[in-house]
Amino acid sequence: MSETSVAALASTPAAAQAYILFGVAGTTYALRSHDVLHIEMLEHVTPVPNAPAFVEGVVFSRGQVVPVINLRARFGFERAASTLRSRLLVVQHDTRRVGLLADESREFIRISDAAIKPPQEAIGGLSGNYLEGVATLGERIVLVLSVREIVETVPTAVS
Amino acid sequence: MSTSGQDRPFADGFMDDYFAEADEHMVAVRRSLMTLESALGSTLPPAALEDLFRSFHSLKGISAMVELREAELLAHHMESCLRAARQGSLTLTSTNFEVLVDGVRMLEHVIAARRASTPPPSIDAMAETLEALGRTGNEVRTETPTANNTRTNEPASRSGGARWWRVTFVPSPQLVERGVKVDTVRARLMQLGAVQNVVPKVVPGGGISFEFDVATNDEAQLAQWHDDGLSYEPLDGPAPAAPAGAEPADAAVVERPLTDLTLAGSSNVVRVDLARLDDLMRLVGEMVVTRSRLEDTLQRIEAHVPFQEWRALQDHNGRLERNLRDLREGVMRVRLVPVGEIFRRMPFVVRDLARDNGKRVHLELTGQSTEIDKFLVERMMDPVLHIVRNAISHGIEPPERRIAAGKPADGTIRLAASTAGEAVILEITDDGGGIDIPSVAQRARSFGLVVPDDGGLDSRALLDIICASGFSTRDQADRASGRGVGMAVVRDTVEGLGGTLAVESRPGRGTTFRMTLPLTLAITDAIIAHVGDQIFAVPQTAVREVVEVDASLLSAFERNELMPYRGGTLPMVRLSHVFAMPAAHRARHHAIVVGSGQAALGLIVDRIAGQREVVVKTITDPLIRVDGVSAATELGDGRVVLILDVAALSRTRRQHSRVITGVSA
Repeated sequence: MSETSVAALASTPAAAQAYILFGVAGTTYALRSHDVLHIEMLEHVTPVPNAPAFVEGVVFSRGQVVPVINLRARFGFERAASTLRSRLLVVQHDTRRVGLLADESREFIRISDAAIKPPQEAIGGLSGNYLEGVATLGERIVLVLSVREIVETVPTAVS
Repeated sequence: MSTSGQDRPFADGFMDDYFAEADEHMVAVRRSLMTLESALGSTLPPAALEDLFRSFHSLKGISAMVELREAELLAHHMESCLRAARQGSLTLTSTNFEVLVDGVRMLEHVIAARRASTPPPSIDAMAETLEALGRTGNEVRTETPTANNTRTNEPASRSGGARWWRVTFVPSPQLVERGVKVDTVRARLMQLGAVQNVVPKVVPGGGISFEFDVATNDEAQLAQWHDDGLSYEPLDGPAPAAPAGAEPADAAVVERPLTDLTLAGSSNVVRVDLARLDDLMRLVGEMVVTRSRLEDTLQRIEAHVPFQEWRALQDHNGRLERNLRDLREGVMRVRLVPVGEIFRRMPFVVRDLARDNGKRVHLELTGQSTEIDKFLVERMMDPVLHIVRNAISHGIEPPERRIAAGKPADGTIRLAASTAGEAVILEITDDGGGIDIPSVAQRARSFGLVVPDDGGLDSRALLDIICASGFSTRDQADRASGRGVGMAVVRDTVEGLGGTLAVESRPGRGTTFRMTLPLTLAITDAIIAHVGDQIFAVPQTAVREVVEVDASLLSAFERNELMPYRGGTLPMVRLSHVFAMPAAHRARHHAIVVGSGQAALGLIVDRIAGQREVVVKTITDPLIRVDGVSAATELGDGRVVLILDVAALSRTRRQHSRVITGVSA
């Protein structure tokens, strides 16, 4: 119910874009659907030794070897066991194809550009680094993520 | 005769053939030019002159057929120059040779413009220069006529009293479609009688025709070929008989350029679009995966199926595996092309760059027939080009400095290809000054890289620095590296293809870049090993043997373990260690022995699951490109299995032990 009203509220035809919503550790995030190639159920992930800690491993997605970033780990939360609701969002960034592991993902909505405000300085924490903006949809707050920031490697210190 | 408009698809297909053929001729042209250039000032090799003449001739013919006038005209004038040079009436000097080279470059531009459907460059000035050059030769020729050129215009030998005819053949796309080409026509005429002379003529208003002088009494047959674009007329009077003794030699002069005069290069070679081969290879790959699923299923149902039935299934499965193996090898062989494809553009590049840089460079090519996957050839072109460019602009010194250093004024760049097992090695060596270590070190520091103060860089560190991204920005500004492929891209490309790049610099004596590439991609045999709950694959080519390890025989030495092996010791590496995985404590392990000599190493795993054929998927994403893993595969259940990079594992171990010796010393 609320989804329809949110969509109606958000859809000013002039400048609105489609977003995929997903949840990580109780917070709702959004990615431009343009950046998301497809969403998959999570199957076996092969761990890759010595890869950065937030890399869950690799999977085959449509015949290609794709790294899986655990968004919980990327955002500094505790890892959680994957469930039936866990989803892999395969995103494209430049020529790279990367899977993002989220707790769940079920919504596809349009958000008007006007509804997205730049993130306040105060939003700190790890996920703050990856934010492109914050959208307020009715009572819901959605954090809009930048694929580039999530996907591009941060130099990881070798312990 | 004209293809204009009425039949587009046909004309388009025709253009594709034209471009492919023109490319082949241009390659031959460049080759001949290089040969000739090196002989300027001494006796020019007649074969190279002949080849060049023939290439221009063919280019003229095919360009006329597609109505590419500019190309036709340029080729025509250059053909005239070469005819004059062949007959000795034009002496090629380094000055007028440049004119030819410029003409060839212009010809390339013209063809490239047509390919890109852009307006052709203006060729008037060039055509005039070339024409003048060709005429110089002709003028001289008329003053001093030679036996050869009088003969080219007149048939001089008789064929059993038969009558001489001048047969004119006008080719057209329609005729080509019916299989009537100049070489088929020649073959027909040769059936009929002696074919003395073939002269291509540019007909007024464009197009080309061929005049054959034929001795035959079968006029009726000639008349029947009218619909195939042939017309004929009697030649005036019987040709004068040549002196018997002179005939064979002279005939050879006239005939030789004509024997290979073919318009449509009919050979038993098929050109195949690489994408189709890729599709085939992918299909074969899928079949390999499907078969391994079949095998899994067979193992599972063994207990539920009558033994006889199961045996039969197993037999079929075994046969299928062998067939697939053969099929894969067959497809792979089709994809292999001589590595010379990478090399053949180089002589031109080297020549131009050397001139631009005021250097003198001699290019040596070896192992051009070494075969390598077409896919790799395409991708190695730019990296090789880049290294060659660097060698000329930074490696080879100017002639004065070379002489001062007691070296020959001409620098040498050597491109060598060779096969080593399932790898192809490409080496690019120059005899220049070597890499300037102090300045490299200084530049590296300015980029914030850490370099030892004494400037002591080993080859690996040196490579790491020159391949650091951003390092080659200066190169990108100068023309030599116009394409902007830095060394970083070179290394990424080579490693992305599953290969390795190495450099060796000898101060004052030159630099060698060595690229080791897999012969082919896609499918390989691998040993499947278990470590903890993970499965790894080790390429069979890297494996020397698999041995059982008794834990009690291992002796710890600092962070290394050693095992007695064939009268010596073998350093051992626990994969569980390398990959920071929980170690299984067991008394017996298996070890995969890889590498040889200094690089020999035993990889300790829990269990060997067997050997099988795997489809190799490259790993390109930086997030998962870790040391020790080269690629990934699947074994039929959809899970990713990592393929180990044995060379990297062995390198890591050596680095570790170097650290240790450093500390204890």
